[in-house]
Amino acid sequence: MRRLGQFVEIIVGVAFLWAGIVKLTDPSAFLSAILTYEVFSYKVSVIASLGVPYLELCVGACLVFRVMKGGARLLAVGLLVVFVILLSQAAMRGLDVDCGCFGSSTKSSEAGFFLPIARDVLMLVGIGLGILAGGNANGSREK
Amino acid sequence: MKFVCEACIISVVAGLCGVISFFAHPKAPAFHVDELEVELEEVLRFEEAFWIDARSDEDFEKGQLKGALSLNEERWEEQIVDFLDAWNPDAPTVVYCSSQACLRSHEVAERLKAELGVENVFVLKGGWEKLAEAGMVEGANQ
Repeated sequence: MRRLGQFVEIIVGVAFLWAGIVKLTDPSAFLSAILTYEVFSYKVSVIASLGVPYLELCVGACLVFRVMKGGARLLAVGLLVVFVILLSQAAMRGLDVDCGCFGSSTKSSEAGFFLPIARDVLMLVGIGLGILAGGNANGSREK
Repeated sequence: MKFVCEACIISVVAGLCGVISFFAHPKAPAFHVDELEVELEEVLRFEEAFWIDARSDEDFEKGQLKGALSLNEERWEEQIVDFLDAWNPDAPTVVYCSSQACLRSHEVAERLKAELGVENVFVLKGGWEKLAEAGMVEGANQ
């Protein structure tokens, strides 16, 4: 169970790393994607367009290399919950948003909101599994 | 509380990288984009305007403002020739893309200014959505 938890968490970490790298190759495209959600002002979106990819990179690296796991899990859950809220409000408002999740320029109104939301929920489950399986073989919690 | 401290450390590292990136990343977005922006009402007061459609070719095919020329980053090298042929330096050049959230028009306008020295260039605030609201174009925003 512990191995499975670690494995799933590493997969989630790789997904975060990939998402961060893709966004950093073109922050302007990610900025455009953030603006389509019509939630943040332009200046806040600029800060997010450069901050979020690095946060994803750091969280992904920590999950993959098993350092500062507790903090990385907390931030991963925070990021994923925010992503789900943003996508859900866009779906409810019927907005034509560009998910921006993995650098895709596919509009969510065309591709559907279900897939990105389901992917985020699946990643949340992965983190949950990692937390649940965090105990050592002898029953004590891992350090 | 250890995990909270770890989360703070990770956030600070990410924040610092973001700040460095803002100054060093070649594609870092500008903090101020409103310098070139112009309201539609203001454009309509111009005697004439040279319209540039910065949306994708696909969107341009579906519908465009009458007289607008397509010029986007994807086919810049090809389309810039048509732009130079048709460009009227005496008329203000107004670039639009799909909506207020879209940055393509800013990129095209900045490139026209930097590479071709086009001084009289503006970005239409609200883009295609604004044109559609004003009834100047037909069809939903692509």
